[in-house]
Amino acid sequence: MIVVMFLTWYERKLLARIQLRIGPLYAGGPGGILQPIADGVKLIFKEVMIPYKADKPLFLSIPVALVFLGALPFAVIPFGQHWVIANLDVGLVFVFAMTSLFPSMILIFAWASNSKYPFLGGLRSLFQQVAYEIPMWISALSVVMLAGSLDLVNIVNAQQKMWFIVPGFLSFIVFFIATMAELERLPFDLPEAEPELVAGWFTESSGAVFMVIFLALYMKLYLMSSLITALFLGGWWGPAFLPQPVWFILKTLVVATFIIIPRGVYARLRVDLLIKIGWTRLLVVALAGIFVTIVLLSTGVLSVWGL
Amino acid sequence: MPTLVSYLIVSAALLGIGIYGLTVKRNAIRLLFSIELIVNAANLNFVAFTRFMNPPQVSGQVIVFYSIAAAAMEAAVGLALILVAFRLNSTIDVRKLNKLKG
Amino acid sequence: MAPDITFIVLTTITLLAAIMALQAKELIYGAISLAISFIGIAGFFVSLDAPYLAMLQIAVYVGAVVVLILFTIMLVRRDEADKVEHAEGGEGAAGLWIAGLLAVSIAGVAALAGPSLPTSPPPANLPVSQLGPVLAGSYSVPLLILALLLSAALLGALVLAKVER
Repeated sequence: MIVVMFLTWYERKLLARIQLRIGPLYAGGPGGILQPIADGVKLIFKEVMIPYKADKPLFLSIPVALVFLGALPFAVIPFGQHWVIANLDVGLVFVFAMTSLFPSMILIFAWASNSKYPFLGGLRSLFQQVAYEIPMWISALSVVMLAGSLDLVNIVNAQQKMWFIVPGFLSFIVFFIATMAELERLPFDLPEAEPELVAGWFTESSGAVFMVIFLALYMKLYLMSSLITALFLGGWWGPAFLPQPVWFILKTLVVATFIIIPRGVYARLRVDLLIKIGWTRLLVVALAGIFVTIVLLSTGVLSVWGL
Repeated sequence: MPTLVSYLIVSAALLGIGIYGLTVKRNAIRLLFSIELIVNAANLNFVAFTRFMNPPQVSGQVIVFYSIAAAAMEAAVGLALILVAFRLNSTIDVRKLNKLKG
Repeated sequence: MAPDITFIVLTTITLLAAIMALQAKELIYGAISLAISFIGIAGFFVSLDAPYLAMLQIAVYVGAVVVLILFTIMLVRRDEADKVEHAEGGEGAAGLWIAGLLAVSIAGVAALAGPSLPTSPPPANLPVSQLGPVLAGSYSVPLLILALLLSAALLGALVLAKVER
């Protein structure tokens, strides 16, 4: 949770620099670092409005479930060689299974709001997230092929000599783009776009509900960044002057930075183009990534690095 | 670990619930729920037997793998059929959908 | 045999959710209860040392099938409230008898054959790494057929649901 708060502050500062502003400065503390706390306090005190005829128990329980789902996969992500909470044999598939639960919960939440705009936003968001799951799974598959195991600890261990981003560069790009689309970050922002649908599938949530959803979104961002770090950037391996978890967190922050930056830079993508790109172009590139991996593996080029 | 028989009893109970739904309910979507429950009961049965066999066979898990995929496919096609039936008849009450034409 | 608390909890959740899936007044609640019962079954798979299947079950059933069902429910809204659909009169009781008899007879057979079934499982034995080679090796033809079948089902569903203009 602390990380999430830090991330929201970090994002606003970063975006502001890109947009040549200064960003939150007034909330006290060095450089406005208490801003997230101020946000949190404000949101707690805002009145929670539930739309007329909305489905109250669903409306209130789904955001909580979302946060729970966002936090659960952290149990299998290793922060260091022996710093993992629950080492599942099928750790990667666990993370993906949890990820695939998000779109259905968003759909239920959007429907539970019982009004047109959130529902449309929810549908678009659903299409987008479902469409980009497949390139994500396929590019992660090439990582699994390189490492020979679904276990996240084994995958990171196999990167001891060479980070997977080098042989799997194409897969890395696909995974990165698919992650940005899953998280609904610009340039894939249409479900959230202000001139389009007010605020997308969480239009009707206010106050504490919004805060919980916000928390879930940023948690997902952190989760995906740490997944990219574990899969492609060699997890915790680094020169030994810093302890292993610190390396992991540093790399995760670098990835998160790269995910946040395009938000201030690129224009938005129209939703039908977005879905078309996900299903056609990105899928082809993901398959090409696997093909490259297979070729590299079978011609033994990678045996230099013990793969 | 509970015995094999307890897993089988759970599976039989699920089967019973599924069959109850299949015979009694009129809403086509509830029928689909029941079908999925029945398939899940069968899957549970398979996995339970695979676990308790000696020597361990992996074919049980392979069967369940296919079963999950096949049931998902069948749900998709079934839902498409329900959509079409709704469009043509404005109802998904299966007692009213008893004409072959249209 | 001391009753295993996980097993009891899982059983309760799964069976209750299955019953709720059929009895809930609103279809959407029924779909959510179905999702919960699927997660319960995934829990059973995990307790039976099949974690890969459990994750697959969650990803495919809860992640995809339930979404499809929700979609269809939202598209098939009748304007009047979904009426309570259980049958009048004797049909509900008949259904209960049929289902009950079937379930009890199967459970009875299982229980009677109990003594001859293995009661204590052999040590945990099927790692995921064994599943892959078998799928691609001995069962490769069914795998390819499955792929074809999936494509056919996808195309079929698309063609069926297409709106004629």
